[in-house]
Amino acid sequence: MPPKTAAKPNLFGLMKPYKGLISMLVLFTVAANGLNLYVPKIIEHAIDNFAHRNLVIAHMVFQFSIVAGLIFLFTYLQSIVQTVAAERVARDLRTKVAAKISRQEYAYIEKVGPSKLLTNLTSDADAIKNFVSQGIASIISSLFLIIGAATLLLITNWRLALVVLAIVPVIGIAFFIIFSKVRKLFVRSQAAIDWLNKVINESILGAGLIRLLNAQQYEQQKFLRANTEAKDISLAVLNLFASLIPIITFLTNLATLAILMLGGHFVITGAMTLGSFTAFNSYLAIMIFPIIIIGFTSTVIAQASASYGRMLAVLDAPDKEDSGTIIEPLQGSIALSDIVLEFGDRATLKGVSLEALPGTRTAIIGPTAAGKTQLLSVLTGLIVPTSGQVLYDGRDIRDYNKEKLHEQVGLVFQDSVMFNLTLRENIAFGSGVTEQNLRKAIDTAELGDFVDALSGGIDTVVSERGTSLSGGQKQRVMLARALALNPKILLLDDFTARVDTRTEKKILENVRLNYPGITLISVTQKIASVEDYDQVIVLMEGEVIAQGTHKELLESSPEYV
Amino acid sequence: MTHSRVQKIMNYTLRTNEQREKKMTLRDAFRSLKPLLGDEKRQLLLSLFAIAVTSTANLMAPVMIAHTIDTYIASKDFHGVLINSAILGGIFIIGVAAQYLQTMAMGGVGRRVLFKLRNTIFAKLQNLPVAFFNANKSGDLISRINNDTDKLNQFFSQALMQFVGNFFIMLGAGIFMISLHVKLGLATLAPAAVVIIITQILSGWIKRTSTKSLQSTGGMSAEIQESLANFKVVVAFNRLDFFRTKFAEANNKNYKASVASGIASNTLIPLYGVASSVAQIILLAYGFTLILSGNVTFGLLVGFMLYVNNFYTPLRQLASIWTTLQLAMASLDRISEVLDIESTIKLVPTEQVLPTQNVLTFDHVFFSYSNGKDVLRDVNLSLEKGKTYALVGPTGGGKTTTASLMARLYDPTKGTVYLDGYDIRSYTPAQRTGKIGFILQEPFLFTGTVADNILYGNDEYPDGSSERLLENLKVHGLDSLLARFENGLDTKVGASDSISLGQKQLIAFMRAVLRRPEIIILDEATANIDTVTEQMLEDILQRLPKDTTKIIIAHRLNTIQNADDIFFVNGGEVIEAGSFEHALEMLMHGKRTS
Repeated sequence: MPPKTAAKPNLFGLMKPYKGLISMLVLFTVAANGLNLYVPKIIEHAIDNFAHRNLVIAHMVFQFSIVAGLIFLFTYLQSIVQTVAAERVARDLRTKVAAKISRQEYAYIEKVGPSKLLTNLTSDADAIKNFVSQGIASIISSLFLIIGAATLLLITNWRLALVVLAIVPVIGIAFFIIFSKVRKLFVRSQAAIDWLNKVINESILGAGLIRLLNAQQYEQQKFLRANTEAKDISLAVLNLFASLIPIITFLTNLATLAILMLGGHFVITGAMTLGSFTAFNSYLAIMIFPIIIIGFTSTVIAQASASYGRMLAVLDAPDKEDSGTIIEPLQGSIALSDIVLEFGDRATLKGVSLEALPGTRTAIIGPTAAGKTQLLSVLTGLIVPTSGQVLYDGRDIRDYNKEKLHEQVGLVFQDSVMFNLTLRENIAFGSGVTEQNLRKAIDTAELGDFVDALSGGIDTVVSERGTSLSGGQKQRVMLARALALNPKILLLDDFTARVDTRTEKKILENVRLNYPGITLISVTQKIASVEDYDQVIVLMEGEVIAQGTHKELLESSPEYV
Repeated sequence: MTHSRVQKIMNYTLRTNEQREKKMTLRDAFRSLKPLLGDEKRQLLLSLFAIAVTSTANLMAPVMIAHTIDTYIASKDFHGVLINSAILGGIFIIGVAAQYLQTMAMGGVGRRVLFKLRNTIFAKLQNLPVAFFNANKSGDLISRINNDTDKLNQFFSQALMQFVGNFFIMLGAGIFMISLHVKLGLATLAPAAVVIIITQILSGWIKRTSTKSLQSTGGMSAEIQESLANFKVVVAFNRLDFFRTKFAEANNKNYKASVASGIASNTLIPLYGVASSVAQIILLAYGFTLILSGNVTFGLLVGFMLYVNNFYTPLRQLASIWTTLQLAMASLDRISEVLDIESTIKLVPTEQVLPTQNVLTFDHVFFSYSNGKDVLRDVNLSLEKGKTYALVGPTGGGKTTTASLMARLYDPTKGTVYLDGYDIRSYTPAQRTGKIGFILQEPFLFTGTVADNILYGNDEYPDGSSERLLENLKVHGLDSLLARFENGLDTKVGASDSISLGQKQLIAFMRAVLRRPEIIILDEATANIDTVTEQMLEDILQRLPKDTTKIIIAHRLNTIQNADDIFFVNGGEVIEAGSFEHALEMLMHGKRTS
């Protein structure tokens, strides 16, 4: 959960860097609307002049045409500026969030959840875009039109104007009551949409499983529940709007009636000209529309400010400080000292200590859910332990420059992670991989034949989620990716699980030959393949319960089978 | 037997760029929405009626005002003014009531249509085979279902109602104007005709840019989805710059496409504004001339003035709605593309019955993926009921594909798979999946508890009672596995990394066994599970009924040692290895083609 930000998200503060664009937007909006207000004046003059028989039609047409042309020009400019401003604000905000994410630790992404960040970068950014493209211009123009029309009403006939303007506060109250209810529904509706999204996402990612279990019906029921909730909320919103719109219409109608009766009375008594009477009706029409617009814009603002708040939670998260300065090459010794790792009140690692000397091979073995994968994550600094120290060459991991460290430690994950890039880019994923190192990595991972057999060779594009590769091929690409760094230390997480025994033997032999002096730590299930390792560590329920060579363990540890 | 039936390889890939074969017209759009409007006829008629009443009421007002001015104000009869005001008040009340009815009815229709449309798309997705999901990026699919339906939603919930309402007001105002004075009416309406023609010309451009913008949004969503899902590799390989560059590229592309689309869409609004001004100019100039020649009265001109407003204000709104409509059409286009895909995994009536006791038979089976890669060539094999089979072979040799064909995740490109002697395609999905339990190589968990995931898709526990579940788990010997989870059945799990791959495999295993399948396929299903636990799983498999056929794909030799028969899968061939030693021999020294 994002922490509640103390300051309310200030949407207008967000606009500061775009002063130029926003001022242009304001200028064009005000100009276009000012001219719009002038139109009824022209008509009023024309009618009054006509009544006094001194109207020059050509003159009126000329004047009107110039105003119309200018309105067109300013409205068009306004629409261009507001589009550019909105898209630019959204783009820059997305860039900022992405840059922020890229400075965060892996643990942060896991905690916040990739799906929420996806929403932040897409629909939240869209909400702010809507605010800039619709909100700013409509608020300015609405306020301008309301104030302008009201002023003109007052100038034309203040007594009648006051009667007509009496509807404004009533409409305001109606809006306030209904929108406070709508806002609550709006929060619930966001939750319903999140729910919908989750069902859709899982049904895509779990497509294979769903088809094997013939659970499509079940998925549809899940979807139906979420969709029904979304529909019910939107119908409730509709209900509120359905009562709001007639209220506004009715109040406007009352104003029209007031103009007809009172205005008619004034015209009859000679207190008002017929032209003014017509203009009154036009001004009323001009004034009502922006009142409605402001009401609807307020939802856009509410939406944008909620979204901005969510994005601020990401933007305000403390930066990961890379205070490490050590950039010397590693010798290859690793040690863990008394590592404790807790998730909530559950400890996955309970005081783990171990040491691997340069150039040695260490195996970590243990039952499912013993904490092996977490141990590797701690080793590489992907997860920061609750307490304890990670030491490389006897110095704390935090003292190392992260960039330099990652360049020297190759990690092969348990699950396959493929990018929708070419095979070359997938393998030479780390920065500064030379062609020579790439080739060596491919050969070591026994991928040479596979790559050569591909029609596009190493430049073949791998599909997203790697669906075009088999499990074992993906695993070997992952290994090649780690080896391409020409690392000093290689960490394998259950690497052999999906590779056949023959290939596995060959690969490990290749590693020994091609990467002499590499420190290897391998998490594995297969005891057979670790028999000749320098040390084997048995991990159980987050604790090291035995440690030694294969031979020693066979004699001393009953758990070692 | 003849095997001339060669299935066309379906291309499930959705368009993500501009290649378009056909343009969606309003008629097409209506046709694809028509089935959703079927049972809304009464509501639609009601709203049409309400709209007609509202519009009439709105249009009556200017008539009444013009009449009041001409008859009473001009003759200084205030009593008449009051009477007319009362009538006008009555009209207003009727109008407001009708407006409420209209909003409710029309808005209801819109929301229910959206509800049904979403259900339809989702149902469609459920009917599409796995190949569809392999061919498309998940980020783009999510964008289609979320973002594109939302664009339609905006159209339905805001624009459609205004569209119909405004259209009626406009139409009514137009008719009134022409019936009041044909020449003056036509002259005032002329600018509208001009802008409507311009709109027709610009529509293609607007829709093209809208489509491009939606596509770039989908592309950006796919980019974010991929980077975030693979974030740990990005971090571990110190390639945050990669994430930034890739994202910046997608972000900029989206920016450019959106600006282009925004400018295109916003062109209409000022255009319609200027049309309104021109109409007023024409009205005044021509109207005054007509008054001077005694053809029309002054009140008529004032009335006309109001009608011009009544005509052009809705028209201007129609312009902005028009762009929403274009965006909605572009979205509908992308949605229809999904709806139009037909699954090739269809029910085929039984053609042949094999006189065999074998539970699974591959008869001259060929298979290749849509990218043209040949995976299986002329494979023949027969599996007997109750036996244990192992599939071995180098990675990428085709083991998973062979298993997937057994469960009909794909259909062979040529040849037939028989299940219990019948063409596997003649079974309904329920029959087929009831017989076959398949544990996938990469386990997937739904957000929920361990119990939710074990019972997923299992109809035997509708009430989710954990007592019966525990009992049945005990019967199968699965209860011991629950100890691997912190809170047993109630342990919360999700798609993220909160539990290990080994634990996910345990859940998948329990889920499959609990369904008591006749054939159980384990595709490296225990690869990340330790040997001790794996032995427990082996014991559980032994306790399954004697006639359960087991098919195991594994690399660990001990896992396949107990198999009755071993198949060596490589280079498009599936060869019966005979003995374990022979299989080992092939695995160690066999020719490798991949």
